[in-house]
Amino acid sequence: MSLHPVHMPGLSDTMQSGRLVRWLKKPGDAVHKGEALAEIESDKAIMDLEAFDDGYLAGPLAKEEADYPVGATLAWISDEADSHHGNTFTAPSKEHRPAPAETVPSSPPEVHDDSGLHHRQNASHAGPTGTPGSAPASPRARALARELGIDLGRLQPGPGGIIKSPQVIAAALRGPEPDLDAGPPWRYKLLTPMRRSIADNMTATLHTPCFHATTRLHLDALSDQARTEGQSLSLLLARALALSVARHPEFNAVWTPQGLAVRQRVDIGIAVELPGGLVTPVVRDMAQRPWKTLEKDWQRLRHLARQQRLRAEDYLGATVYLSNLGMFPSVERFQALLPLGASAILAIAAARDGQAEATLTADHRVVYGADAARFLQTLGACVKDPQALIRA
Amino acid sequence: MSETLLYHQALNRALDESMAADDSVFILGEDVGLYGGSYRVTEGLYAKYGEWRVRDTPISEGSFTGLGVGAALTGMRPVVEIMTINFALLALDAIVNMATKIPFMSGGQFPMPLVIRTPGGVARQLAAQHSQRLEQMLMNVPGMRIAVPSTPQDAYWQLKQAIQSDEAIFLLEHELLYFSEGTVDTRMPPPPMHRALVRREGDAITLLAYSRMVLLAEQAAHRLVEMGIDAEVIDLRSLRPIDWRTCIQSVGKTHHALVIEEDHRFSGAGAEIVAQLTEHCFNDLDAPVGRVAGLDLPAPYNGRLEALTLPDTDRIVDAAVRLLEE
Repeated sequence: MSLHPVHMPGLSDTMQSGRLVRWLKKPGDAVHKGEALAEIESDKAIMDLEAFDDGYLAGPLAKEEADYPVGATLAWISDEADSHHGNTFTAPSKEHRPAPAETVPSSPPEVHDDSGLHHRQNASHAGPTGTPGSAPASPRARALARELGIDLGRLQPGPGGIIKSPQVIAAALRGPEPDLDAGPPWRYKLLTPMRRSIADNMTATLHTPCFHATTRLHLDALSDQARTEGQSLSLLLARALALSVARHPEFNAVWTPQGLAVRQRVDIGIAVELPGGLVTPVVRDMAQRPWKTLEKDWQRLRHLARQQRLRAEDYLGATVYLSNLGMFPSVERFQALLPLGASAILAIAAARDGQAEATLTADHRVVYGADAARFLQTLGACVKDPQALIRA
Repeated sequence: MSETLLYHQALNRALDESMAADDSVFILGEDVGLYGGSYRVTEGLYAKYGEWRVRDTPISEGSFTGLGVGAALTGMRPVVEIMTINFALLALDAIVNMATKIPFMSGGQFPMPLVIRTPGGVARQLAAQHSQRLEQMLMNVPGMRIAVPSTPQDAYWQLKQAIQSDEAIFLLEHELLYFSEGTVDTRMPPPPMHRALVRREGDAITLLAYSRMVLLAEQAAHRLVEMGIDAEVIDLRSLRPIDWRTCIQSVGKTHHALVIEEDHRFSGAGAEIVAQLTEHCFNDLDAPVGRVAGLDLPAPYNGRLEALTLPDTDRIVDAAVRLLEE
């Protein structure tokens, strides 16, 4: 009998760990190459963990709803159906035993309760894990932390469970953290991969110099058509945005230190709310493709988004974004943060008397105020002629 | 002027040029004359310089090494070839008690321009008594310099430097390197004899090696690059003294270090390197300094077992990956 480990896959270049959502197979089940064994949640998507070989799933299975570093062994595939490994959950060897990664700072002492939430105790009643700030850290991490004034006790260890220099440097770049001890008692809520990923993306926007320009859009005609034809208002607005970008190609560019990366196609990202976060499915080539194919694409993307099954190629790489809060009548206007790699994002508030405030946030290294003014004029004209949007 | 030479040819070239330039340089050893040396290092020199300067000796390492010490005391520049390092054990009295002590105990009145050349390391199936790596024994003897060339260029440079030096120098060659090929530039000025060289630059982990293990470290580095790990390879070139500055600079950049040695892990050269790096680089390290070394047992005669006792590229790659993940 031979056993082959099933590893946590690296689903993207940046993925360091993933969450095992649930197993789709039981130990002893026959599995075929390419068949889904489990669901894995990475940055923003849930994906299938596929069997790499024919055989039988063998335990011990890694615990569900826990985070594991990329490469960690989650289960085994055996070439025999009735291996004792399959049912008794014995680990084949000690060094391959799956070890869940820490998902919350491991110190100061903390208490785990059934809700999955963690409390931090006051240092005065230190728990069994020892003194506060006792997370294992490499010598270099300690030296750097001393130099940079970083409290090691608040850092999350790296993949090996040890704080190393990259974690300290990342903490220094994140900036200071609030002192929680000063206020009321609190407890930690686990960061979902989605929340962490959104937080990282938002922090990444800090280095983009932006300006804002606001206009009023006449949306009567567009709303009427959306209602009568059963079309998505967000998609119609995104189409108007795409056609405006096509007319003002200076918006279809990304600033890089090497030069402006001028895109050859207009891809629009549309923010969609999800339970516990948001995601921005990207509709490709929105200015050129026929309306019907865009609608079909949008349906597919929304369906995948709701199931948290968007893949990286479904939500990365738009140059212009749309964020629509028009369904909330109390929102008069708002500004959106410009995602890294985009030139502009349009924030549309609720319509009043047929007009909605729309605020453009744009990268001032890519476009200037007068460009934004001309762009908004084009956009204003586009939304008044909904027939042209679906005909073009 | 650069040309492609085998390691033993590079050593021969260094001997030839040194003997042509300086009448006080002469060679002593078993089968160095008529036979041309067990590994052809002295080939052709007997014919060129005659039996007085290329002297075949009886099979008696203690006496002919002692003869070398005495000749060095009188101002000659002897180059003693010991057929393998395993036989150098018989000459330890001459090396340890005489060569390394007389300059010290005479207050520097006697120089010791002595070179002892010998191959060490595991060749192929020469069994336990002929597969030893004894460098760690001599590393612990003050007054001895140990050079460990890994390339034909270094073999040429370091032997010439050793002959010109007034200190006792042990040139540790390797049986599996004698027929390795490389470019030798005889005009390029050499770096100092004990200077460690960065063979490959990288920023993820420092691989420290000497002698034949440098070749394995370089192969491992190529494989690590394919895995996205940019390893730096340092060739120590000298085991006494060791060029700590180069090592420390590299670890300051990579924050990870792995020592690769063919010698036994316990109390080997790697133990000293790990200790020094930990002392000097403690605050720069993101992981304990690792070691890939020979197993702690006499070399088995069985070829497959023998290979299992030695570092290989797989083990180096594996250790580097684990060290970075730890």
